[in-house]
Amino acid sequence: MLTATILLPLLTGLAVLALPRHRPDLVRRVALGGSVLTLGAALILWAGFDPDDGGLQWRMSLPWIPSLGARYDVGVGGLSLALILLTALLLTVVMVYVLGEHDRAHAHAFLFLLLATGLIGLFAAQDLLLFYLFFEVGLVPMYFIVGIWGGERRRYAALKFFLYTRAGSLAMLLGFLALYLAMEPHTFSLPAIVQARPLDRTPLAGGLVFLALLLGFGVKLPVVPLHNWLPDAHVEAPTEGSVVLAGLQLKMGGYGMLAVLLPTLPDTVARFGWLLVALALASLLYGALAALAQSDMKRLVAYTSVNHMGFVTLGVAVAALAGNEGVRRLALNGAAVQMVSHGFLTGGMFLLVGMLQHRAGTRELARFGGLIGAMPAFSGLFGLLAFGSLGLPGLSGFIAEFQAIGAALQLSAWVAALAVLALVVTTAVYLRLLTGLLMGRAPPDMPALPPLTAAEAGAAGALAALAVGIGVLPAVLVALLDGTTAALAHLP
Amino acid sequence: MTGGQAMGGCMDLGAVAPEMVLAGSALALVPVAGWVRGRWRRLPAAVALLALLVAMGLTAPMLTAPPREAFCGTYAVDPFRGFYQLVIEAGALVSLLALGSHFRGSEQEPHHPVALLMATVGGMGLTAATDLGLIILFLQMVSFPSYLLVLLVRSDGPAQEATLKYFLYGAAALAVMAYGLTFLFGLTGSLNLRAIGAGLAGADRAWVALAFGLVLVGYGFEMTLVPFHVWAPDVFQGGTAPASGFVSVVPKVAAFAGLLRFLLAAMPDGLAAWPTVLALLAAATMTFGNLVALRQASLKRLLAYSSIAQAGYVLMGVAAAGQAPEALPAIGYYLAAYLLMNLSAFAVVAQVERMTGSDALAAIRGLGRRAPGPAAALALALLSLAGVPPLAGFAGKVFLLVAAIEGGFAWLAVVAAANMAVALFYYAAIIAETYFRDPDRAEGPASGAGYAWALGLCTAGTLGLGIAPGLGRGLAQLGATLLR
Repeated sequence: MLTATILLPLLTGLAVLALPRHRPDLVRRVALGGSVLTLGAALILWAGFDPDDGGLQWRMSLPWIPSLGARYDVGVGGLSLALILLTALLLTVVMVYVLGEHDRAHAHAFLFLLLATGLIGLFAAQDLLLFYLFFEVGLVPMYFIVGIWGGERRRYAALKFFLYTRAGSLAMLLGFLALYLAMEPHTFSLPAIVQARPLDRTPLAGGLVFLALLLGFGVKLPVVPLHNWLPDAHVEAPTEGSVVLAGLQLKMGGYGMLAVLLPTLPDTVARFGWLLVALALASLLYGALAALAQSDMKRLVAYTSVNHMGFVTLGVAVAALAGNEGVRRLALNGAAVQMVSHGFLTGGMFLLVGMLQHRAGTRELARFGGLIGAMPAFSGLFGLLAFGSLGLPGLSGFIAEFQAIGAALQLSAWVAALAVLALVVTTAVYLRLLTGLLMGRAPPDMPALPPLTAAEAGAAGALAALAVGIGVLPAVLVALLDGTTAALAHLP
Repeated sequence: MTGGQAMGGCMDLGAVAPEMVLAGSALALVPVAGWVRGRWRRLPAAVALLALLVAMGLTAPMLTAPPREAFCGTYAVDPFRGFYQLVIEAGALVSLLALGSHFRGSEQEPHHPVALLMATVGGMGLTAATDLGLIILFLQMVSFPSYLLVLLVRSDGPAQEATLKYFLYGAAALAVMAYGLTFLFGLTGSLNLRAIGAGLAGADRAWVALAFGLVLVGYGFEMTLVPFHVWAPDVFQGGTAPASGFVSVVPKVAAFAGLLRFLLAAMPDGLAAWPTVLALLAAATMTFGNLVALRQASLKRLLAYSSIAQAGYVLMGVAAAGQAPEALPAIGYYLAAYLLMNLSAFAVVAQVERMTGSDALAAIRGLGRRAPGPAAALALALLSLAGVPPLAGFAGKVFLLVAAIEGGFAWLAVVAAANMAVALFYYAAIIAETYFRDPDRAEGPASGAGYAWALGLCTAGTLGLGIAPGLGRGLAQLGATLLR
């Protein structure tokens, strides 16, 4: 079933390519159908998942490259399953959003579906070479999506995105090869490597592998100062591309840190723990302050992602440094919930900004005002997602950031204070966005803004509903993630 | 030579059956090629195609044959030879398909199969020769028909200059190599690789190093190693794209096979520090090729520098071949993958060049809209050359990196990974030109059944080897057994 979930998008994508050239509408419907099926398959995985069992479930393992001992080995824990659900959900939302887009629909649908296979496969992979394969399959389609359907400076943004992530992933590959060769007999099996932790006690090799993996995951998350590709890629990507980029692809980095870096090298991560704390605080503060300075709404949301992902790094760093298992668990829960929550909050924000740009042809904050009267449905959804993003209690972002800061407080009051400072700046960012966009009077030259279509409202509404749902009933998500974080926290 | 034996005693024509089929066809086609007119001009290509298929059938059993010697110890029959000969034959087959479409209806149509078959025989012989005299003979034999192939063009162009350059460099390099081989004979009194290997153990190290350096010039010329690569960009750019594709693949694969056999048999235990020398050369070759490729505006020239860089990656495996048992299958796998992806890229460039008369980067602008099939094949080939999974070039690079680290060259693996990151820049530039810009001309590239088959075979191979590397790697593992 897990393999079916991984392959469904790819098979749908191949089927789409075989559809006649002159039927983009059919392409859209088939692609949406495939996404819904994928979501259904992911829900079946969830239904059959036992959250109390901390081990891997839905496991499947077949030989892949026998001479290297690499296997097609997949299985899910709670975190993986949550991210797979998020992937299938955002894929469906995106497919609903683009129903009316007919420009080279075949290639467009194929690339998004291929990317979904890469992401789901990545979150399920239990073999490092397979992990690397899915990592790239999840990234390369985005290069084409930005390059083909992007804005004015798309070629520059696409190339920058590709070069940054590729440099990171090649470093990561070398790190994986070092882990592989350090195992006797050689194996890429993640559970086996986590069990043996071959390089964790060799300072030089362990440190180098840590840095290599940090480069790979840090570019993707992104961690300041490796974030430089992100604003360009997000701004130039088409709306649906930004949704997937922010909602899902940043999670590849966070997932890598939680599921690969931390358990394979826990002592080494602790050794570099304060470096990670510094990087996390830099991301938190830089992302918030840079967002405050933006007038382009898409760029603004992009920088808040740098800030939000800082909480993931912070959670990993605190978990590595803290001596108390309870604190570790709190920190990891914060990081894990933040990844899922950011997925639909920021995905939804990009979706709404995209709808505005589609109508008005601009994303300049100053060109808008008083939308609450002109577009009530839009304003309601926008307000909800923005409040969720700034961490208002009752919405999903709060649960994550509260836990991460709470854990950081146990480690050092200074770290927690700086994180709270970043949170305050973020609040200012969103309040500025909300007041500028929704309140006040509309500028005289504001373009006419037709209300949301049913598809648009449905796509964004689903994400907003989830933000509320998880905010009110966090237990559902936390129960799912708890098995993974408890196992991770117990490990060192 | 191992003379003295009666001539009949060690004659074993069965050992050279594939070579005889190809050489016989080529010789029979020489008069035919000059005589055929009209649609009969297609005949030589058809005969060559058939001959290659028959030769492949005759070569395949060698993959599992126990290693032995033929022709009085001058020629090997072993799985190593079987594997590399199959790769070379496959490269010739795909090149023949693309060349056939390229020269369709032209005066040159009947001639290219003759040159192609002769060069193929030379390359195949090089993989099997265990005698210094034969080695230099087959190196000449793979080179001379390649010169002719580059000279064949549909219209006047820079091909004559390219051929002249190719010829002069080749003649000089092979002469230097022959000089080096005389030292080996002088030191050991034998032309047989294994006898040399035994004899060199007690020889003066300085002379061995000198001989090795001179011999490397010849192999380095064929493999386009820095600093013996100087001919390649001009020749690849001057020749027609399918001919350049052939020259970028068949002589290179043959020379790698030949060098491996030479090193493992004649220079055991890392004599003359060859692993370190080759590791340094590999680093220089990949870095130089990639850095210069960044600044190219001609596709054929860019692919020339790319193929120089690719030779550097393979040489990384050769440097580790004495230490790491994984190295030989890794090299075999990578060369097979390289052949598929490089020929695929050249076949698309050939189609574009044929229609627009240009191989400038701008000539493929918007190809994604004009010709989705070839554009997709080109993108896959380039991503594979860049090492993006799940394509053949990725698995090949992983195999080579593992072999390099196992062989004690972890620093070289880091250099190679950095190079792969840099290389992405120019591969992505080509992809961006095909997909991220709107076409500025309406016509599609030239089409033809030969191009379509060549692209189809290469793309299927690149994908198949990449998704399920086990099979290709298994074949390459078979081919790791050689007479030492």
